[in-house]
Amino acid sequence: MPVTVLIVDDSKLARIVAGKALSQLQPDWERVEASSAAEAHEIVAARAVDVALIDFNMTEKDGLTFAAELRALHPDMPVAIITANVQDEVIARAREVGATFVPKPVTAEGLQGFTSGAALRLRSKK
Amino acid sequence: MSGGETITLTELESDALTEIVNIGVSRAASNLRKMIGDQVLLSVPSIEVVSQRRAARLISEREINELVAVRQDFEGPFSGRALLIFPEENSLELVRAVTGGELSPQEVLDIEDEALAETGNVILNSCLATMANMLQRSLTMTIPEVLRGDGNKLFEILEGGEADGLVLFLYIDFAVRKRDIRGYIAMLMDLPSLQTLKELLGEFIERVVGNDG
Amino acid sequence: MMAEASLSTDQVSDRLRAVLAAAGASGTWDWDIVGDTLHFDERFADLYGLDVEAGTAGVPTETFFTAIHPEDRARMKIAVAGILGGAELFSKEFRVQAPDGSVLWMHGRGQGHSDGSDRPVRFTGLLVDVTERKRTEERLRIAQSAGGVGTFEYSDGFATASVSTEFCRLLGLHPARTLPVRTINGVVQEGGSLIPEAEQASDLLHGEFCIVRNDDGVQRWIARRGEIVRDSETSSYRFIGVIYDVTAAKEAEERLRELNETLEARVEEEIAERQQAEDSLRQAQKMEAVGHLTGGIAHDFNNLLTIIIGNIDTVIRRLDSSSDPRAKRSLDNALKGAERAAALTQRLLAFSRRQPLDPKQVDVGRLLAGMSDLLTRSITETIAIQVHSAADLWSIEVDPHQLENAILNLAVNARDAIGGSGELTINAENVAIAAGDGSPSFLHPGDYVRISVADTGEGMAPETVAKVFDPFFTTKEVGKGTGLGLSMVYGFAKQSGGHIRIESELGVGTTVSLYLPRAGSGLDELIEEPGIAVELGKCNETILVVEDDDDVRDYTVEILRELGYRVVEAHDGQTALRLFERADQPVQLLLTDVVMPVMSGSELAERARALQPSLKVLFTSGYTRDAIMRDGRLEPGLDLLSKPFTYTSLAAKVRDLLDRS
Repeated sequence: MPVTVLIVDDSKLARIVAGKALSQLQPDWERVEASSAAEAHEIVAARAVDVALIDFNMTEKDGLTFAAELRALHPDMPVAIITANVQDEVIARAREVGATFVPKPVTAEGLQGFTSGAALRLRSKK
Repeated sequence: MSGGETITLTELESDALTEIVNIGVSRAASNLRKMIGDQVLLSVPSIEVVSQRRAARLISEREINELVAVRQDFEGPFSGRALLIFPEENSLELVRAVTGGELSPQEVLDIEDEALAETGNVILNSCLATMANMLQRSLTMTIPEVLRGDGNKLFEILEGGEADGLVLFLYIDFAVRKRDIRGYIAMLMDLPSLQTLKELLGEFIERVVGNDG
Repeated sequence: MMAEASLSTDQVSDRLRAVLAAAGASGTWDWDIVGDTLHFDERFADLYGLDVEAGTAGVPTETFFTAIHPEDRARMKIAVAGILGGAELFSKEFRVQAPDGSVLWMHGRGQGHSDGSDRPVRFTGLLVDVTERKRTEERLRIAQSAGGVGTFEYSDGFATASVSTEFCRLLGLHPARTLPVRTINGVVQEGGSLIPEAEQASDLLHGEFCIVRNDDGVQRWIARRGEIVRDSETSSYRFIGVIYDVTAAKEAEERLRELNETLEARVEEEIAERQQAEDSLRQAQKMEAVGHLTGGIAHDFNNLLTIIIGNIDTVIRRLDSSSDPRAKRSLDNALKGAERAAALTQRLLAFSRRQPLDPKQVDVGRLLAGMSDLLTRSITETIAIQVHSAADLWSIEVDPHQLENAILNLAVNARDAIGGSGELTINAENVAIAAGDGSPSFLHPGDYVRISVADTGEGMAPETVAKVFDPFFTTKEVGKGTGLGLSMVYGFAKQSGGHIRIESELGVGTTVSLYLPRAGSGLDELIEEPGIAVELGKCNETILVVEDDDDVRDYTVEILRELGYRVVEAHDGQTALRLFERADQPVQLLLTDVVMPVMSGSELAERARALQPSLKVLFTSGYTRDAIMRDGRLEPGLDLLSKPFTYTSLAAKVRDLLDRS
């Protein structure tokens, strides 16, 4: 089964941009999109998700809160928080939740560290 | 400004603010480059602390047509509202630039506002976040929204209303090669916030200059 | 030989630097942010005064700042902090200072470079020497400022300095190519040495000196701007600079400062004066307006009250007092009330100046003396009353009853202000008001009698003082005073041709001063007829002079007798008529005052004319014709001589009348 990446972001553009970077690095990974935390929960409940890219700044529930919830459900899932909000505090909070911090706009270069690490972890799991 | 109150920055404070904004804007420009993939040239921003009314006037003087803005509020030791402002005809150009051939012209039109919001989000967020880091403080930002209107609307100049906030008005020319895209960044803050900012600048100066102050 | 050689080395290195600078050759630097090392090339080393090898190997990044002038260091640290934080562009001008104090201006232009994760890793740039350009700009600026610019060049260790002709001229020295340093410094009075012989701190660069020019001994201010040029081989230096005259600027500075200091004071004075005049005018206008208003109302009231009183009276008279005693009582009360209302309107009328006054010559001293028991009865024992009248008080022409009322009013106010115990002092004295001697406005220059009532009461705040003459304004509780008293006094003062002034201080007391014009002081119109030949009278012309004021009567009689007339005198109407009837010789002219007690002048004239229709009548009065007409005391068409009259005016008028057929 191919690796499934969940991209959670309320901006379509951001999802496009992230998807573009992702396809450059891991063209065979499948992509699933959600525009909110609620929608993301539905997806995770319905199917298998291996990797998650989560936007921090979302209405209703922000990305870090969702990431913590996701972490509780899937303790080993590679999770990245993507955001333009590069404040030290945000980076620190991402780490607390066990997520990698990837600044926006997401580029192949910026995402590479995370995807290689994720790929490694997934292979070792299998 | 009510009662003629204003914040004046010392020369060093002004220098420090310029540099911090420089850093923020450089980061934002770098991100814009990543999104557009084209060369983005940045002018050195000119910074003024002006009244809301004057800010509205400054923009109205330079831009005749309607403006589009992405607005984001920030809260923390100093609070305010950040605006990324484009002349209307530029905004679509920007969206086209950032979606870079991925979408059909119709799709571009459909997601114009949303794309603007996201672009604005990246630019303002990276700018503000970098500034916050330099000042060693945290800010919370809201979800960005898109506004359209003239200077008065954007700077909330109400008829006969109180407009005594101050505006950190930055005019940055970020020219994207082959495309005519230029914009402004403005940060509206009230006096107490600017006072706090002044104090934080003082701390920054101390850290940087040390004994040579 | 040696001197020549060292000079030429100096010149060579200077020239080289100049050439390189002119060529715009720049030094480069490469700041490794990650490794925290600074690399630079030969030219940079040269400009910064650093070791070239060190530049290649790399030095601590702090070195970038050590050579920077202390005044520019903070600014530069902030600018570099920007680059280190991620800013892209760097472009700054700053000074670099060599250990010997010589200073060069640099322009640094650089960029920050970041890695893929937006982390700043390098800071590179170019450094250009812009000293010459800046100096040129500076010199240009100096040269453009007024006057000549003298140049000098002094080499350390030498006793003389190379100078320009202009330099010599500015100091008043004979033009020469070189001058002894001692001579140069000899003209300086204060500021130190124009050309110091020992090396000092960077104060050398700019100085101002007060000199005495050698040729004409005139004191001048000279500014000097110089620079130290270090010789890199030896430890000697050259001090090069310019001087220029800044006397004019310094003097202008001084004058301006003085002017500024006094300007403020003068402006304040002007404003205060104008303010005072404006205030007085406004007050007068206000009173005028209020006067008109109250007068009008009071007048109408009067008429209505007349109707009311008249009718009640009628009813009272028709009522059988025995039949309904209660009704009678009620009517009596009604009448009393109406009469009180009438009295009130009288006071209002007085305030509004509609009430005719009965002015007489009054001796204030005597009047005050006469009021003493009235005063003691009105004022409680706990208040000490003192009355001082100057010995030679001038007489005034006022309605004595109104004056008594006024003084009583003021005394009662003073009593109320004091409350328990205190002092009340009444003073009467002569004052001569000259034009523009800072006295209260709206008081024409002239002689006045000032009656002041001073108390040690609670005093009033300035806001209260401003309103105190307004009718119905009162600081007293309800039921205690109508608030008309002072407004009435004001009206009386004004109508009598005088003025009233209040000075008060909270907690200290109040003084109210009444200024009343001296009688015969010429504050009324004076009929001057200079140079007219005085027509004399004949001894068969008899004039009957009637005047109740003894002094005036004496004076008038004396003049007429001097003029040759036969004069008979009386001090009141009754006596005059008796004299008239008994006259052994016929009287041709009746000269009478208008305002007299018991029988007025008009009445007298009427009765006298009844006895002798051909009698000519000349009225005299202290009031103008208009005033008397308006007050209803005199019919138009009658002859009036205003007091005070002069010898000539009396003579002329009398002659005129007698000559009429």
